Amino acid sequence: MTTRKNQVRKRDMSFANRTMTKIWQEIPSEQNPYLAEACRCHGYDILELAQKRSFSEVLFLLFQGELPTPEQARMLEFLFVSMINPGPRHPATRAAMNAGVGKTTPAHILPIGLNALGSEYLGGQEVEAAIRFFRKNLRDSPNALVAECLKGERPHKGDWHIVPGFGSRFGEIDPMPLKIIALLRTKGSGQAISWGCSFAEALKPYGMGWLSTGVVAAVLSDLGFLPQTGAGLFQLICAPGILAHGLELTNKPISAMPFLDEEHYVIEPESRKK
Amino acid sequence: MLSNLNLAKSDTFFWDEKRGVIRTRKGGWIPGEAVYCHGFDMMENLVGQASYFQVLVLNATGRLPERRLADWLEAYFVCNSYPDARIWCNQVGSLFGTMRATPVSAISAGILASDSKMYGPGTIKAGVKFFVDAVAKKRGGISVEEIVLSCQRGPRAKPVILGYARPVANGDERIEAMERVTKKLGFEHGEHLSLAFDIEKIMLEKTKEQMNALAYVLPFLCDQGFSVQEIYCLLAALVYAGVIACYAEAADQPPESFFPLHCEDIDYQGKPPRPVPA
Repeated sequence: MTTRKNQVRKRDMSFANRTMTKIWQEIPSEQNPYLAEACRCHGYDILELAQKRSFSEVLFLLFQGELPTPEQARMLEFLFVSMINPGPRHPATRAAMNAGVGKTTPAHILPIGLNALGSEYLGGQEVEAAIRFFRKNLRDSPNALVAECLKGERPHKGDWHIVPGFGSRFGEIDPMPLKIIALLRTKGSGQAISWGCSFAEALKPYGMGWLSTGVVAAVLSDLGFLPQTGAGLFQLICAPGILAHGLELTNKPISAMPFLDEEHYVIEPESRKK
Repeated sequence: MLSNLNLAKSDTFFWDEKRGVIRTRKGGWIPGEAVYCHGFDMMENLVGQASYFQVLVLNATGRLPERRLADWLEAYFVCNSYPDARIWCNQVGSLFGTMRATPVSAISAGILASDSKMYGPGTIKAGVKFFVDAVAKKRGGISVEEIVLSCQRGPRAKPVILGYARPVANGDERIEAMERVTKKLGFEHGEHLSLAFDIEKIMLEKTKEQMNALAYVLPFLCDQGFSVQEIYCLLAALVYAGVIACYAEAADQPPESFFPLHCEDIDYQGKPPRPVPA
């Protein structure tokens, strides 16, 4: 009898015998092939890099295969410092803080916060989408595009991210991304930052502008990073702040953060009893 | 609810109303009184009476399903519990085990790995959209063949439909197993699932690709009235048991002994050695 089970056939696929990488080379020890005697990042000895280059330069090298120019390195360094902490009110940081005060294993704090920061809203997935948005629209008129986007449906409640990386935050233009982008422009901005500034200016009358995700996306785009790197790099950039806030609470009592009383945790009557 | 307002209002009333308070229709714990869960007293009405999967559906959707639907869902979780360390999410579990990570982090990471465009819960959104759209098209008078052909990426290309191609194998042993469960529990094939089988006939003709479990389960759950987001929530932890099997085995062995690699087991194809410029 023919059944679905015996109709299952393994595909004639060939899988790699060895995993390939262009990033990292490990030179085996002569005594033990499991141990590396030396490590090279895109051809550069990692210990030589450690002596001669900064963290952000080597980070750029890891993802792009070449060391950055001094201007690129300054832009990336500025981004890493200015965005180092989403702050203790950001939901991703709060997730880490909740885990911290809840006495999770400290090693879990960062992954918890970073998972939240990988999200579609003000998170890594929005950065990725914003890089794609820049790549697609940089040749279009910002004013015409804003006019087109405004025809879309605005959420009746809450904020509107009219396109990835741009919108309102708590009903207004978020001032911090605006200040960061203004400083970035003094360091020599690329096409995405310049175009984004025009786009933000056209959005201004509608109470919208740069979001933090848009700023990160514009810088990464101008530095030549691919869209798919956006989510993870945003997580990496914000990781120190998230971890610091989470760890700050691990040694504090559980009473160090709000645990709402019943007056402020309101269970709707229909949910109490059928 | 969406409206077409062009001008943003800069007042913060919407957020002010929510500041310092959590309002919920889900439930919560009133110490000394009860744990309320969607109108049920959890300890009185659910514990020992409802199955875990009934409560899972209740918490995800706000609706307590009949027991047979929860049992069906549990059977599908069993279907996705392959203890095979070659499967991508499961190998994550093994690697966590060999590193002596905690089982909780291994399970979390394995589930995250399965949130994939290729397999696992990450395929649900696109999969449900296809079947919901396909049913709408069929109701609108479009033939099954036309629905399939609309999934061609070029005039001569074979149609590609999520749920009708499976990594590594063609065909899916889980469908036969779930069909047994479906019949045993007394479920009929609804509009979405019937269409899924009709699509398979055309796909077999045109591409020789059989349906996989996704093309069985998603239409079934659509027929049961679940939304795409509800299905995503219900199936989020689908691979949990397979991951934990692989974690447990690796964690039982000496550290770093799971599938170890020589330096030469990595195929370096990058730049040759070069000095760091000054």
